[in-house]
Amino acid sequence: MKKQKASTLEARKQLRMLPGHLVVGLWCLFTIGMLAWIVAASLSTSPEIMRGEALKFATGFHFENYINAWTANNISVFFVNSLLYASCTMVGSLAISAPAAYVLGRYVFKGNKLVRNGFITAMSLPQIMIILPLFSLATQASLTGSKFVLIFIYIGMQVPYTTTFLISFFSSLSSVYEEAAAIDGCPPMKTFWKIMLPLAQPGIVTVGIFNFMNIWNEYFLSLIFASSEKNMSVGPGLKSVLTAMQYTGDWGGLFAAVVIVFLPTLVLFLCLSKTIISGITAGGVKG
Amino acid sequence: MKKDKKMIVCFLTPALFMFSVIFLYPVLRTIAMSFFQVEGVSDAFSTWKFTGLDNYITLLQTPIFLDSMKNMLKIWVYGGIAVMLVSLLFAAILTNGLAGKTFYKTVIYIPNIINAVAMSTMWITAIFNKRFGFLHNFFALFNSDLAKTDYMSGSIKFWSLLVAFCFGSVGYYMLIFMGGIERLSPDMYEAATIDGASKVKQFTRITLPLLRGVFKTCLTFWSIGVVGFFVWSQMWSAPLASELSTTTPFVYMYNITFGTQGNTFRNAAMGAAVGVLMAVTVLIVFFLINFLIKDDDVEV
Repeated sequence: MKKQKASTLEARKQLRMLPGHLVVGLWCLFTIGMLAWIVAASLSTSPEIMRGEALKFATGFHFENYINAWTANNISVFFVNSLLYASCTMVGSLAISAPAAYVLGRYVFKGNKLVRNGFITAMSLPQIMIILPLFSLATQASLTGSKFVLIFIYIGMQVPYTTTFLISFFSSLSSVYEEAAAIDGCPPMKTFWKIMLPLAQPGIVTVGIFNFMNIWNEYFLSLIFASSEKNMSVGPGLKSVLTAMQYTGDWGGLFAAVVIVFLPTLVLFLCLSKTIISGITAGGVKG
Repeated sequence: MKKDKKMIVCFLTPALFMFSVIFLYPVLRTIAMSFFQVEGVSDAFSTWKFTGLDNYITLLQTPIFLDSMKNMLKIWVYGGIAVMLVSLLFAAILTNGLAGKTFYKTVIYIPNIINAVAMSTMWITAIFNKRFGFLHNFFALFNSDLAKTDYMSGSIKFWSLLVAFCFGSVGYYMLIFMGGIERLSPDMYEAATIDGASKVKQFTRITLPLLRGVFKTCLTFWSIGVVGFFVWSQMWSAPLASELSTTTPFVYMYNITFGTQGNTFRNAAMGAAVGVLMAVTVLIVFFLINFLIKDDDVEV
């Protein structure tokens, strides 16, 4: 009886908030509708899409669009490249940033504040400020057109953000662990690898996901440094598919390519949305 | 902790090395470059010719650059107002005990995690296409003449670009605002309710003033984002490399330093000057925000 009363009370409260539900709900409906239409279009033929009949599936589901996009449109190459860039950057930037964040977060030394401020400034720097000298450095080292240079730059680009994010994680850990380890004769470096790093795991996972997604969605640097299609990531790759589409008229293949490009990050986000959303809400840092 | 000196050096060196190569050296070289005459991006220092402020003076007399600055300002002001208002409204609605909050905020955030090229392709086709897009079908339903609108040409083009870009940005700022609101103490609202303040009054008198710090964070991020406005502009001008109505300084810089099809004019140092001007713009905006909005409250 009491439970029923509480539920009617809650229902009445939600009813009072109907305008709120309506506004936010319509916005969500629009987003979901757009994604659904793209998926539907990716399974339709080009004439069907042009006639605006993408949702009818009059001639069945055309999965061959995906095969076309994957092979003929070169999406497989861009996909594998992006996977390589994103994974290498995720691992590389963590390997460099985690130790740095540890000493910056837990030790008092001269220049600590200066380094932190330098990293924060780097995070708000427009990319146009650094792109020209990087390009000239890469040309001098005759590295343009190689995958290595892009990975190297990506790792460097993510270091300030990754370090700043992890500093707050390390400084929130209790010093009891380090003291206990020191008493037991464990050297500080070993303490970091064996005890402190595992303790910071939630932060490392969150920032790792952010870095992966950032690089997967990166556009400008890939455009500049991956001069040929064999090094392109999904962003510029998809744009080249779009340009080619004007001549081939293969709308179905284009939409299949779009779906292939956004599916990895979408699935990753839906599986880990709780971690990702709380990471943004708590830190207020770009993800 | 003197004996840990070795460890501090070992742990910090790789990060500092990357920072110097990727940020410190490039910034200094870009600043220096903007005072010289340099044709190609990778021309050796010995071929540079010192010209002082010439690049900046030429730039401020170049109509295309001034137009691109105007576009950027329009995006910053109109887009900024729209995005901040909508995300604040959504944050207020969602923190009010709305059922299905997690679902709503997850869906609203989705555009942020999708590749910008994919996202803009979706907008250009699914929504704005004049033959089968959503807006065409929607207005055709009422037999309205609006169904004939071409959103991808003329003066509407800029606005269709802005709408699509802002739509995706809302989720991110909404989450930051929500984080700020959820950190406010519920006691204040309880006291206000007992004193008979309405929900709206509570929002304008308690929530908004206490969100100043969060608002500052959002404005800073928005400004940095607008200066980096590039891929959306490129997508909206496809198949052309760029188009006047949607060109931003970033796009202009790309065109004059890396050259575009049918345009052989290249001037790397001018590109560097654009970069410096943008960095200075961010800096000025940053100081203005800090000067105008004092925060002695919730920090994000």
